[in-house]
Amino acid sequence: MEALIVLFASGLISLFAAFAKKPWLVMATAVGGLLLTIALIINQLATGKALLTLNYEGLQFDYISLMYALATTVLTLLMISIGYERFKEHPEHTGEYIGLLIISSTGAFIMFAFTDMFMFFLGLVILSLPIYVMAGSNKKDIRSNESALKYFLTGSFATGIILFGIAWIYGATGSFKLAEIGSAAMSNADNSLMLVGILMILGAFLFKVGAAPFHFWSPDVYEGAPHSVTGFMASVVKLAAFGAFLKMFLWAFGNPELKAFWSPALAVLIIVTLFVGNLSALRQVTLKRLLAYSSISHGGYTLLVILTSGLTSLYDMWFYMTAYGFSMVGIIAVGIAVNDQEDKIESLRGLGQRNPLLTVVAVVSILSLAGIPPTAGFFGKYMVFSAAWSSYWWVVIIALINSAISIYYYLKVLGVMVSKSETPQEKIKLSPLTTIALLVSLVGMLGLAIVTPFII
Amino acid sequence: MELLLFILPVFFALSVLVMPQSFVRVYGLLGGLATLVVTIGLICTYNVEGGMHLFISKNWIPQYGLTLNFGYDAVSLMMLVLTSGLVPLILLSNYKNELASNRLFTSMVFFMQLGLIGVFVALDGIWFYIFWEITLIPIYLIAWWFGAPERKAALVKFFIYTFVGSLAMLASIIGIKAFAPSFAYGDLIAATFESKEVAFWLMAGFFLAFAIKVPIFPFHTWQPDTYTKAPMAGTMLLSGIMLKMALYGMIRWMLPLFPEALDCATTPIIVLATIGVVYGAIIAIKQGDMKRLFAFASMSHVGLIAAGIMTASVDAITGSVLQMLNHGLVAVGLFLAVDVIERRLNTRQLSDLGGLAKQAPKFAFWFAALAFVSVSVPFSSGFIGEFMLLKGLYSYDWIIGVVAGTTLILGAVYTFRAYQLSMYGPVKFEGFSDLHWSELLVFAIIIITVVVLGVYPAAVIDFVEPSVKSILELVTTSTPSGL
Repeated sequence: MEALIVLFASGLISLFAAFAKKPWLVMATAVGGLLLTIALIINQLATGKALLTLNYEGLQFDYISLMYALATTVLTLLMISIGYERFKEHPEHTGEYIGLLIISSTGAFIMFAFTDMFMFFLGLVILSLPIYVMAGSNKKDIRSNESALKYFLTGSFATGIILFGIAWIYGATGSFKLAEIGSAAMSNADNSLMLVGILMILGAFLFKVGAAPFHFWSPDVYEGAPHSVTGFMASVVKLAAFGAFLKMFLWAFGNPELKAFWSPALAVLIIVTLFVGNLSALRQVTLKRLLAYSSISHGGYTLLVILTSGLTSLYDMWFYMTAYGFSMVGIIAVGIAVNDQEDKIESLRGLGQRNPLLTVVAVVSILSLAGIPPTAGFFGKYMVFSAAWSSYWWVVIIALINSAISIYYYLKVLGVMVSKSETPQEKIKLSPLTTIALLVSLVGMLGLAIVTPFII
Repeated sequence: MELLLFILPVFFALSVLVMPQSFVRVYGLLGGLATLVVTIGLICTYNVEGGMHLFISKNWIPQYGLTLNFGYDAVSLMMLVLTSGLVPLILLSNYKNELASNRLFTSMVFFMQLGLIGVFVALDGIWFYIFWEITLIPIYLIAWWFGAPERKAALVKFFIYTFVGSLAMLASIIGIKAFAPSFAYGDLIAATFESKEVAFWLMAGFFLAFAIKVPIFPFHTWQPDTYTKAPMAGTMLLSGIMLKMALYGMIRWMLPLFPEALDCATTPIIVLATIGVVYGAIIAIKQGDMKRLFAFASMSHVGLIAAGIMTASVDAITGSVLQMLNHGLVAVGLFLAVDVIERRLNTRQLSDLGGLAKQAPKFAFWFAALAFVSVSVPFSSGFIGEFMLLKGLYSYDWIIGVVAGTTLILGAVYTFRAYQLSMYGPVKFEGFSDLHWSELLVFAIIIITVVVLGVYPAAVIDFVEPSVKSILELVTTSTPSGL
């Protein structure tokens, strides 16, 4: 709880620090606040797994939600660090960029810790609103405006549907609390109010995480938004959305009778999502659109966790999305450093000569996205697949086939990055902040599996 | 001491990146030799009757059934010594060209070695898979950076082929876990499947991965292109060591894991492998490009090894281990011979070559020795290896034995055709300089090793046989022993 307050306060202070028109001051405030948040979370985590049920009426910080909060804060910090070079080009707006991203991440906190629907909705809105603004932060760029408008219109529509779904659930069970909904669902699993509500929430969640056939917004939004915002959407926002998705479907709608109702639909949509994401990614020529489709396909893999809803699901999801977030840091840093207006994949040619460290991190990131050992991406995939195997082996086989498809476009990016370019290009100089962020994400990608025995 | 097997390659792979350019090739050789010394140390201290020697055995993440189990028996040790022996040989054979002074190349070779060593000592399904995949990245990068100009399509094909195979294996590994408490080798072996059908499909996943890597007909179409387009060092790594991973995987994993499925899977696999033996040899006869020729020859040779392994008899598997050592050495030698020609003349086409023997007598001698060794003349290790393999195949089914036996005749045809067309006849090139000492050294080491093994094969056979027997016990009883 202290962490949440500190995080929100640092977001606010960053906003106001912008009055000084000194970008470094904003950045210092933000980094200080985020580091303090991380320290507070780690302090709470260290007090022991069993003791941790800090309950605040609607918000409950247990071990796993603190883990999600930790991942959120670290990823936010990394994304802000690599985006800072671009933020400070507009000194008068730096405060807004950084402050809004931090405030958005407080929404993510709430989306892991909620125990009732009201809090969940609050978290969702806090998470989404700043991102609608941030997607349009390149005011002069028409694509950025398109991105913001598309994201806002479709996103608010989905938020409305979630709210409507919550109302139906309330009608069926008479409660906003997850636990009470869960126990009420035991007795009347065939209540049609309940089922309609679940379908609405399911659809809206699938929209938020960009699963097919609700994915059409995401390539355009990803493409138009500035790089660091794209990265933030792909890492933190997805982590939050998936975390809340899993928590709600595990706690409130997880009993076997209800699950038998929604799981077939989800299984089919996972398969559709995987094929849509991977097949569309094959032909992309711009980096951000490729990332968008790759992100859709990763959404498909992650949805397998929700389909399984087993013992280790919360940790599987955490691991998968954290690993994915770390790899996003590497790739987005490349996009920012290369700074190509067209954002062509071809412009990454010769990256190895321009900056070896950046290339190493980017290559490991690509390998992690493709799920090649020994990166965290592989362990994430392994956890997800092995948990799902016993009841949904046929979906796992399809997911593996999709991994095989995906290797083609990852390999394409990888090949371009490690190739020599014909024309000599100038070296890329990384700021110290970016270098640190890259090293952290590299360590994260290689070390997440190693620390697993100590944190699970 | 066993941990040095992991530490040394990682150390050399990273430290070579900061070495001064002129020192890289010597440093690379030193690194390769260091691991070789460790491996030989392990062989000397290994107790032949001791079965599996586990040097790490720990739980890692019990919630996911992941363990840290690493160990070796005589079969693994033979593969380890092959790996650590071939790495310095491959570096030495490139000693004269700029590749050996390239930091990235040397580093990638050591990463490759790390993956290979891991594959040969992993006794946990997931770790086996992890190391199996780790080898893919360095070989891909080596070929990508240093390969022939029109390499890209071939490499993407290679990567996707092998990756698909690996994913099938991953599916199978995850699938077996449903019947076992953890991924530890002993647990996986002890798993009993609910039906023969399940065992068969899980085995199919492993088979696909191994069949693509070996490659067994009809999964071989990536191989000639990749071998041709990769730089010579990459081809040596691929054919010398990397495909041994798959053959080793068949012995260590595929046979003991799925004894239930063997009775319906053995015959088709042996037939496919035997088709590959004849098919590869016949195509090799027609090739004009020497590298492509030896690529198909390699496919023919390893097809025989794969067929022999599938008979699951002690003699054939012991022979296959011997033949793997032999093939690794000979393949490196033959590809080096091609490289010697290509580096000097910029062509590998047999139609362009001729009369080299007059200008380079030393090369002619060693190439001839290699040619004889590769067609398995008596007193070379190939003779013993192929004899044991063919004996195993003949007693499995005489028709297959006879068909596979034609490899001896066909092998002589394509090898000597290549030798004759390139070395004899009218002189087409002037100024072909004879062997550099580093090349000569590589040829000499290979020939001497092969001949020593051919004269005294018992050194390997007696060493390996107890381990092979205990592996085959797992196949016949499907209950773990000695673990």
